[in-house]
Amino acid sequence: MLLKLSTMKENILVMNKLRIVGATFFVTAAIAVISSCSDKRSTGLEYAPNMYKALAFNPDQPNKNFRNGQTAQVPPPHTMPVGFDEVEEAYPNTPEGYQAASANLVNPFPATTANLEDGKILYLRMCSHCHGLTGQGDGSIVQLGKFPGPPSYSKGNSSRGGTMKDLTDGKIFHTITYGVNLMGPHRYQLTPDERWKIVLYVHELQKLQ
Amino acid sequence: MRNISLFFRSVVKSLTLLFFLAITANSVSAQSAAEGVTLFKQKCTACHALNAKVVGPALKGVTDRRSEEWLIKWIRNSQAMIASGDPEAVKIFNEYKPAVMTPFPELTEENVKSILAYIKEGDKPAPAAPGDVAAQGAGASSNGISDFALWGLVAVIVIAFLIIVVLNRVVKTLERMMLKKQGVLVEEVELVEKDRLAGLKKLAKNKKFIFFVIILVVIFMSTASWMGMWNTGVHTGYQPVQPIKFSHQLHAGINKIDCQYCHTGAYKSKNASIPSLNVCMNCHNYVTAAEKNGGQLSPEIAKIYRALDYNPDTKQYGNNQKPIEWVRIHNLPDFAYFNHSQHVNVAGVKCQKCHGPIQTMEEVYQASPLTMKWCINCHKETEVNHKGNAYYNKLIAAHDQLKKGEKVTPAVLGGLECGKCHY
Repeated sequence: MLLKLSTMKENILVMNKLRIVGATFFVTAAIAVISSCSDKRSTGLEYAPNMYKALAFNPDQPNKNFRNGQTAQVPPPHTMPVGFDEVEEAYPNTPEGYQAASANLVNPFPATTANLEDGKILYLRMCSHCHGLTGQGDGSIVQLGKFPGPPSYSKGNSSRGGTMKDLTDGKIFHTITYGVNLMGPHRYQLTPDERWKIVLYVHELQKLQ
Repeated sequence: MRNISLFFRSVVKSLTLLFFLAITANSVSAQSAAEGVTLFKQKCTACHALNAKVVGPALKGVTDRRSEEWLIKWIRNSQAMIASGDPEAVKIFNEYKPAVMTPFPELTEENVKSILAYIKEGDKPAPAAPGDVAAQGAGASSNGISDFALWGLVAVIVIAFLIIVVLNRVVKTLERMMLKKQGVLVEEVELVEKDRLAGLKKLAKNKKFIFFVIILVVIFMSTASWMGMWNTGVHTGYQPVQPIKFSHQLHAGINKIDCQYCHTGAYKSKNASIPSLNVCMNCHNYVTAAEKNGGQLSPEIAKIYRALDYNPDTKQYGNNQKPIEWVRIHNLPDFAYFNHSQHVNVAGVKCQKCHGPIQTMEEVYQASPLTMKWCINCHKETEVNHKGNAYYNKLIAAHDQLKKGEKVTPAVLGGLECGKCHY
């Protein structure tokens, strides 16, 4: 730019130093201001986009090849992702299923420090915003009054009989899987292994007074 | 601009909160109702609301429907009443099956009476509503002001320019007519045209004008090349309009829900994953944001219900379900491989490191450039934490073997992994 201005100086105009500096400053400022403008709703300039866009479909893209227009199809019934079991069939979301889970299911994970540590991380991530950091039912959204508080793990009675602090492995696992009352099912967000690790940590919270 | 409006919004929010708190503190006067409200929130709200059916029935007017004595018995142990064959108790039990009401033997008669007093008195309509509305209005205007002012200014300038041109014309015609009336000869039209050409020629020789034009051209060319060189394929700041006005500021910032509660893929898969609508429904089967929308279901939450063909009155899902078509913001080119779990789980990188201050974003934009240089810079600076990190166990073991001078086979270096040969 300075080069251009200096040729200008020789050929077109005879200007004093101040003017050159002023003009340079003006031009630079204008460029800076104009090039900072962009449309936030657009991805902007693209060059050779065919190298960037995948030929294959992403799971979240629309897809004309399927009748419902989605790439992500619902798997056929009874297909299982790795690490999942068909708890839905053995222990359905009924009072009987709940009691059967309580009687038959045992946590496959021993209460080692490593497993409890994993359980704590998962609990804080998935449960604590309602159940609170110590399982007293005073999580962040409960304290804000946006969602009603769940019962404490260590005090009071369960709505399905018995006291909260005596809930068994199977009962807690069944509740995380299907939810109860206002709590939604969490089997789509947590694998069975992750649920079992949370059960380990919830047992620790049941001991609190 | 974004920072200023955020700051302004947070100030307004905290002020409204204070205002609201002050008013609610004043409105609850009766002692027993005050005790009742605390107990109600502790024991009842998990299943009951005053004005809406949740898991159990709406409780407004329950003191008129049933006697106090019956209610005390029911609340302290509903199962015993059903077992004893109380006809009303059995009827309710059958209506709300399979939900069973938790027995509360720990509540004394006085406790139950105070809860009933609270139910009778009910939630006083919050008089903070006008303040709330004003705050929302202020928030909205602080949002829109930049664009509006900008376009307004441009419009004013354009209109002013047009007026000047038109007035100029009018003045000229008037002058000519005056001259005509006075009998002075008006120049020929041809002459005027010649004059125009001459004017252009004169302009071409005007050094100041030429200088001005050259400066404009320089500005235009430099801007175009600068933007072309730096911004091609870089989407920093990209903020598309999403089908639902989902606010990360509200969910992650204020409500403090962990990012990975919804984006469950982030720590165990390549994709962080867009949560499916059943995750929304874990809370929004109850949360309808009616208090912000004049008692009506929020129009944004209604979009979730519509997509799921969900009827909030009967709490039933229909068959005509359609996915929400979110617009992807962060998009790596096809030739770059990125794995979320590698970064979140193995390296322990916080979401904000790449996604920016997501907990303050009312509407998500791309905070990082996602260019190769940006990736490489971070990979050069970040220190690998290999202690207690199972991902690096084999690497450390291989290095130990090398140090001891033992034989190192391809198997030690992962040469037996399936993916080394089969892919």
